[in-house]
Amino acid sequence: MRTQPTDDAASAAVAAREETPRKSRTKPAARSRRGRVADENGRRMPLWELALRYTLLLVMLALMIGPFLWQLSTSLKGPHENIFSSPPSFLPSDPTLHNYERVADTIPVWDYALNSLKVAAANVFTNCVGAALAGYALARLRYRGRKAATLVFILAMLVPVEGIIIAQFTTMRDLELNNTLIGVLLPGCISALNVLLMRNAFLNLPYEVEEAAFVDGANVWQRFFRIALPAVKGTLAVVAIFAFMGAWDDFLWPLIVLSDPDKFTLTIGLNYLHGTFANDERLVAAGTVIAVLPLIVLFACLQRYFFRGVGEGAVKG
Amino acid sequence: MRHSRISRSPRRAVAAAALAAVMLPLSACGGGDEGGSSDASGKVEGEITFQTWNLKANFKSYFEGLIDDFEKKYPDAKVKWVDQPGEGYADKISADAAGGTLPDVVNVSPDLVAPLAKAGIALDLDKSAGKYEKEYLPGAWKSHQVPGLEGTYAFPWYLNTGPLFYNKRLFKDAGLDADKPPKTYDELFADAEELADKSKGKVATLANVPTVEDFGRYGVPLMNKEGTGFTFNDKKGVELLTKYKKLYDVKALDGQALTATPESTGKKFLTEAVAMNPGSALDLEKFKKDAPRLYQNIGITPQISSTGKDNMYVMGVMVNTRTKRTPAAVAFAHFVTDAQRQMSFAKKVAIFPSTKGSLDDPYFTKADGSDVARVRIAAAKSLKTAVNYTPVLFSEQMKIELRNAVARALQGKQSPKEALDNAVKACDRLLKQS
Amino acid sequence: MKSPAAAAARTAGRAAEGPAPQKSGTGPRAAAGRRPARRIRRQLVTSPWLFAAPGLVIVGVFILYPFVSTIINSFTDKRQLVEGKYVGLANFRELLHDDMFWIGLRNSTLYVLVVVPALVVLPLLLALLVQKQIPGITFFRSAFYTPVVASIVVVGLIWVWMLDERGLVNAVLEAVGAGKVGFLSDQWLLLFSAMGVTVWKGLGYYMIIYLAALANVPRELHEAAAVDGAGPVRRFLSVTVPAVRSTMVLVAALSSVAAFKVFSEVYLMAGPTGGPAGEDTTLVMLVQRTGTGLTGRVGYASAISVVIFVVTVALMLLVLRADRKEDA
Repeated sequence: MRTQPTDDAASAAVAAREETPRKSRTKPAARSRRGRVADENGRRMPLWELALRYTLLLVMLALMIGPFLWQLSTSLKGPHENIFSSPPSFLPSDPTLHNYERVADTIPVWDYALNSLKVAAANVFTNCVGAALAGYALARLRYRGRKAATLVFILAMLVPVEGIIIAQFTTMRDLELNNTLIGVLLPGCISALNVLLMRNAFLNLPYEVEEAAFVDGANVWQRFFRIALPAVKGTLAVVAIFAFMGAWDDFLWPLIVLSDPDKFTLTIGLNYLHGTFANDERLVAAGTVIAVLPLIVLFACLQRYFFRGVGEGAVKG
Repeated sequence: MRHSRISRSPRRAVAAAALAAVMLPLSACGGGDEGGSSDASGKVEGEITFQTWNLKANFKSYFEGLIDDFEKKYPDAKVKWVDQPGEGYADKISADAAGGTLPDVVNVSPDLVAPLAKAGIALDLDKSAGKYEKEYLPGAWKSHQVPGLEGTYAFPWYLNTGPLFYNKRLFKDAGLDADKPPKTYDELFADAEELADKSKGKVATLANVPTVEDFGRYGVPLMNKEGTGFTFNDKKGVELLTKYKKLYDVKALDGQALTATPESTGKKFLTEAVAMNPGSALDLEKFKKDAPRLYQNIGITPQISSTGKDNMYVMGVMVNTRTKRTPAAVAFAHFVTDAQRQMSFAKKVAIFPSTKGSLDDPYFTKADGSDVARVRIAAAKSLKTAVNYTPVLFSEQMKIELRNAVARALQGKQSPKEALDNAVKACDRLLKQS
Repeated sequence: MKSPAAAAARTAGRAAEGPAPQKSGTGPRAAAGRRPARRIRRQLVTSPWLFAAPGLVIVGVFILYPFVSTIINSFTDKRQLVEGKYVGLANFRELLHDDMFWIGLRNSTLYVLVVVPALVVLPLLLALLVQKQIPGITFFRSAFYTPVVASIVVVGLIWVWMLDERGLVNAVLEAVGAGKVGFLSDQWLLLFSAMGVTVWKGLGYYMIIYLAALANVPRELHEAAAVDGAGPVRRFLSVTVPAVRSTMVLVAALSSVAAFKVFSEVYLMAGPTGGPAGEDTTLVMLVQRTGTGLTGRVGYASAISVVIFVVTVALMLLVLRADRKEDA
């Protein structure tokens, strides 16, 4: 459960994303000036087409976020509302935030969230730095063994993690890092997938830019930090959001590594809401909303970088 | 892709050596703490860790008070309490057991104790704490014994059992007498078919496929005496499965039963899609809160069994053989499970103590008119003879084998006999390998 | 260039080249043929290992090293709490006679066959829908991305709710007179529901990839096609698809590896037993089921892990080879 299925997809994103700046040069200018409601030929869109588009968009919208709204709605339902009515009622008749207070009363949810935040933030940092460095080495640096190094990362990406979790734990115990947040962090702190992602991003940068810097006397570190890295910001945003997600959502590995409840992360802590003796759907729903919300906020903050490539392609020329 | 053709550089060798240096210490398997003695007679002192299973959220103050009391009684001892969430508990314990990081005193259930005992990780209490045996109900003490091994590997802790709940409204709608719920298997199956028939298949009576405990309660012998092989494919077992097959065919057994979990079946009962569900006193509160309409129509009736003995669930507290503080660990495990502590825990939440005499307490015998008390009293009474039907050697993998065999029979892919024969074969093989 | 490394590096290189078929010599040769700056190269030899070291150490110690022990375990009868002894190929022999293994292999393969085409095509259509800069489009794009960032456990929980006999989907179906559908009780419907969730969760993600690729399709191509009188469908097939083909290949390669290793969606929807009679078990679920817990058979589960690893390597090579053939 540890690799997010979406992780694998991440590398693809980059691969495609980083193409944008270079290619966009061939794009014709001034499309945006011809009015926003225009297609790629600059032709004004007929009204019927516009209506059709919005209809389809709204249908997709219902399909994509409807389920989340339902969860939100359940978490807002009061204690005397039948949440198992049939047919299900979508809107809470008497919305309340009481369930969220109760989550905080039942478990130290903020402590858990803080632990999760520490691990997730560290995971973002290590993945961005480690993957960028390794990716740069694989893409740009010439040395013997580069192919072997690439192979190492590709094979690592294909390893089914479900089969190695106990071996990982014994390794961690030998390093005396079990029951620490560092132990939670380490195995995924530079994921092979992110390395390959960054490699693709760097591969795509034109050599000429770095060559110019080289002529100016910049050494390899300067070129890496001042020229290469700023050019792949979009990929870094992708790596960041998936590193955050991966650490934030992980359940089994932190559970195995940690013993001390003070160190538990949010996903483990929220599992306490499924009580031994009683299970309250509203509480569970409120818990899941607490777990998802930071991710959505993070994404909302980073989405500018996410879509930038796309936007640039359309606006610049 | 092109790579440089620089001649083999010493750098690579250096890198390889560095990598090897990092890896080598890891491969030296750390057996670690070979641990302490089984002698519990020494002084109760030192720090021990106590692990519970998903109890912190609701019983924090209880356990903190308990630990305070223990530390007052034994000033040289210190107890650190950790609680693990419900999910993944077996994975957590097995990683810790394999890695030598299992706490000193651990909350377990009989099926968790069995593999730990076989691996020599659970302390034999007959040797180290035999003097306490007489404090517990004999059936509860035995529940942590493992066929094929001498000894008892955990103190019995809390017990749980409960009645069958049924939905009076659904019974009435089907023209059944809501005040005469089924008392025997034959009545149960007859009523179930009636309910399905009258509702045109819309209302199922049962939501669970039979598990190993159902076979036990039906009077099927589950294992041979030596504990070396399973026997639930006998005539009686086939008979039960054949009856369930009939229920499934007429939709008296819910259509989603083959993929049901305890959570999902509880939900079905709450949504009044299913007419009967086993439960405990705890569920009454939930009904009241989550499904008010159901609560008004709730019927309560004893478990059905052919053996006259109800099923019960047992929790235990084991001591890790590798503990360095055997006397303190044993003393604490006993302290947690002694009559006084169990009684006050039972008053906090609807579970039952496993200590002798506790169930005769007025709390478990005197009715006060409430449903909760009625359920509690009935359960306490049945516990005096109740059994944990699930064999301790019946592992998670075996449960899945049985469940899948049952499903194949219900779907008609295999005859009940064939399915059970296959399940027994598979479980026997797993047993040999364990 | 037979190694997976080279092969994958090759797709990576190609994707980096961008989905521009009109450009001559996409692919590895173009990557290598990029005007190399020799002086840079010489200097770049200095610190490569320093750059790669953190990643190599982490991946080596925490992924590959444990996997080596998994490979070793696959030749033993090790159990969770019992040391194993060498048993040769016994675990692999047992696999051949284990019905559950074949069910798992069937389901994982089926997953690839259904999910991969869906994830190659549907997000492209979605990308075309949100490509136009019409008012509010950023909101829609972000909204479509929400399932990607949500945790799979939450997503699973929600969809189990939705697809339950008394859930929202069945309520709607009943309202329109279609009758109830046992999404969560039939083995095939369960598997397809899980596939649906996988696709639903992946849609937004691949949509972004395609958006980026679409932005690079030269406008002139569309214009030329339009002048030739090509309708939207023809233009989609003759202009858009060829232009994003290399992106499609990359999506196929990565999503097939992920689909073959599917666990969470099926586990959450079909339950730990893998649906009725275990018929929805996937290979990774089988690893989890046989290998974990106190009675887990580590040796046997390791053998399944090894099989999964071999198949995913093969899958990757297969997709890349198919691509190369089309290229030629």
